[in-house]
Amino acid sequence: MTTDSVPGGDDPRRLLSEVETLARRVRLDQRVTPVALLVLAVVTLLAIPGDWWSLYLDCGSESKWIPGPVPNSLSCEVTGRGLVYYWPVALLLAYTVIALYAVRTARARGVGTRVMPYVITGAATTVLITVVWLVVRHYLQTHPVPTEPFPEWVMFLDRLVGPAGAIGVGLLVLARLERNLALLVFTVGYLVIVLVPVTVGWTPAWGPHSIYGQWLPRSIINGTVLLLGALGFWLARRRQR
Amino acid sequence: MSADGRTPDETPDESPEAHPVTGLDDVVHQRVRLGILTITHEARRVEFGYLRTQLALTAGNLSQHLGVLETAGLVEVEKGYAGKRGRTWITLTPAGHTALAEEIGRLKLLIARVETTKPTEDR
Repeated sequence: MTTDSVPGGDDPRRLLSEVETLARRVRLDQRVTPVALLVLAVVTLLAIPGDWWSLYLDCGSESKWIPGPVPNSLSCEVTGRGLVYYWPVALLLAYTVIALYAVRTARARGVGTRVMPYVITGAATTVLITVVWLVVRHYLQTHPVPTEPFPEWVMFLDRLVGPAGAIGVGLLVLARLERNLALLVFTVGYLVIVLVPVTVGWTPAWGPHSIYGQWLPRSIINGTVLLLGALGFWLARRRQR
Repeated sequence: MSADGRTPDETPDESPEAHPVTGLDDVVHQRVRLGILTITHEARRVEFGYLRTQLALTAGNLSQHLGVLETAGLVEVEKGYAGKRGRTWITLTPAGHTALAEEIGRLKLLIARVETTKPTEDR
């Protein structure tokens, strides 16, 4: 008979092990890691022309000059307006694409989806970084121009509340939701790359002033890491199946 | 029969001194049904076909087990359409979540008891 109970001699260890195996299989079928990383990589790499287009550089008016780090040098006022023009739209679009893909794939596979809290976190961090940027911008416009470089902790916070940092925070939430240890390890590595200033000794002279090129190596590194992550998780998933 | 569709004999013994075996709920403890509850818990909402594939069951066999769980108030079965295809979705009720958690807890307790029992006590 089909509805018989488990025989008395059935090993509880085996039952628990079967339960864990089934749960693991369902979690694997719910994961959207490769697509999420791919979409975020595309958004990061597309930001390169977006940032270039939206960078505001003012070296013309003397009132904007501040002393540079090298004696007798002057720095210009540089504003990355991509945080208003490009990133909010691109990130919200990216999270929408990830959510639609997750819902569609889960429905096709016959399971529910887990990514909604991730998508909500992603959208919330996008709004947060935009608001932070606007507040900082307003502060700098209404206060005297700083004459000293910002302390390191301010620069750390600046990187954390930047788009790349926000992507990393969102991925931590995704790793938790998917109970994906590999994604957690990957995200920690990604955040280290984003938050610790890496100098590759390459600053391409891009645009009328080489300042444009200072963003380029970091954007390429961040985008490439996400892209490689997407490829790695996709290959791992293929092998698991 | 109680409100959750179980006869008094099927109601697990909840007394704290009872051996974990006596607390096992036959409705939940059955291997296939435990699998259904586990998958539905993890998936949040699961389609009939997915359960059938994962548990390697025939449609009739799975329906029978789902009937037992539905009668006990542990799952909800919802029929609908995806395009022109009929689909059956299964979700866990709050009682189902509790029953699964209790079953897992009892299984772990049982394993712990077996592991702490000295071999001489078995003779």
